[in-house]
Amino acid sequence: MAMDLPAPPERLRLADVVVVDADVHAHDTPGALAPYCDQPWRRSLEHLAGVPARYLDIPGFKPNLSLDPPFPGGFNLRTTTSAVQMREELAAIGVDVGILFPDNLLGLAQLPNEDYAAALARAYNRWLVDEWLPEPSLYGALIAASQDPADAAREIARYAAHPKVAAVYLPTSAVYPLWGHRKYDPIFAAAQEAGLPVMLHSVSAISSVFPFNIEQFDTALARHTISHCFAMMANMVDLVTTGVPVRFPRLKIAFTEAGVSWVPFMMWRLDKEYNESRREVPFLTDKPSTYIKRMYFATQPIEEPENGKELVAMLEMFNGENQVLFASDWPHHDFDHPRQVFDLPLTPQAKRKIMGENALTLFGIPAPIKIPVREGGA
Amino acid sequence: MADVVVARVDQFEEGGRRIVRHGRVAVGVFRVGGRYYALPNVCAHQFGPLCEGTITGTLVAREETAWRRAWVQEGEILVCPWHALEFDLTTGRCVAYPKLRLRQFPVRVEGEQVIVSL
Repeated sequence: MAMDLPAPPERLRLADVVVVDADVHAHDTPGALAPYCDQPWRRSLEHLAGVPARYLDIPGFKPNLSLDPPFPGGFNLRTTTSAVQMREELAAIGVDVGILFPDNLLGLAQLPNEDYAAALARAYNRWLVDEWLPEPSLYGALIAASQDPADAAREIARYAAHPKVAAVYLPTSAVYPLWGHRKYDPIFAAAQEAGLPVMLHSVSAISSVFPFNIEQFDTALARHTISHCFAMMANMVDLVTTGVPVRFPRLKIAFTEAGVSWVPFMMWRLDKEYNESRREVPFLTDKPSTYIKRMYFATQPIEEPENGKELVAMLEMFNGENQVLFASDWPHHDFDHPRQVFDLPLTPQAKRKIMGENALTLFGIPAPIKIPVREGGA
Repeated sequence: MADVVVARVDQFEEGGRRIVRHGRVAVGVFRVGGRYYALPNVCAHQFGPLCEGTITGTLVAREETAWRRAWVQEGEILVCPWHALEFDLTTGRCVAYPKLRLRQFPVRVEGEQVIVSL
């Protein structure tokens, strides 16, 4: 929590830099996806479309064991249901380009039925390409269903040449086994071949696997503190220790919605283990942190220490200037305004890279023509 | 200082709010317990449109409440629509960070008009 209003930047203004937002969310309801879904599952979605909607809580689609009472004055549960709405909302907070992820299908890995899960991923990918990607400011991440890696690999190959498909989203909440398992090799091979980065994204879930056992916490605050970063930490350990970065040397791996301060901890913890137990992970020809420093990390929810210099120092520990991507998580309750990252005491060069240039390079997006926009929201 | 007319007294209901703008300044004016309070329409956290948020109460848990959650200050708490940071409408103080206090703009009644000084 920054207690004081940040000092206005001396030279560089937010309106002067390209802002690419590596994580925004399209509201994917059963009714919206139904026309894009193969039978028999289209029938399932048509049925679900008639069930009264609750936010990210749809039985058989986004299963959610709701444990908490609605607290008065609590979060605004915003949704963005069209490309036009997304363009206008992102422009209002100063974002030039957004990378789309789903809302409800953040929980896709929780669904046990393999055929259904794969059909939902295919339906989402069609819907994304058809209804969202024609908007010039929006790019998308394909969903790879962990339940059917061969089908996910076919999906990646199918859309590999689409100019607005920028990444492959790996559903990470409650994924089992973790993403380093060799059963997922077809997904990593296809993404590497397509030149698309894979992006891990979690969501809070009551589940028997990562992020697990969070039902025992008294509050949603406690669960949310743990859920995203534990899911990322577990999957990072698995990816590194099964040799994914070595076996797929051209694969770009990105982690979202867990902030950044867990990264140095994981680097040094893994390096320490490597000293003693390298023989268990003979794929690795260098210490784990070497591979982690080549991975990408989306900022949101960016930590808010009272002294922003501490966060800048932390970014330097893992080559953050080149590996960190601004993300807002719009329109979710815990979104970050671009200024929260832009106003950190970074060099002007680091600001440009983190706010947009790193993402343009990673996603292969041509730099948008920067039209000055109102610095807005308030 | 500029005086801006907010509303007629008889049209400003108890528990109500008006957002008024003057140049680049936007403030929310609130009627709480028959008194008027004005706060900037900019949250101190990430600059969200604070005064468009929910007006409600809040929760405390103290020794006096046997460390159970208790509901207090109904109608006196403003919750930012962006990230739900709470502010006491009557003091401008942030509930989560009591050292943080928003600027309060003077509000007065003149004749039949509620007027805020910006």
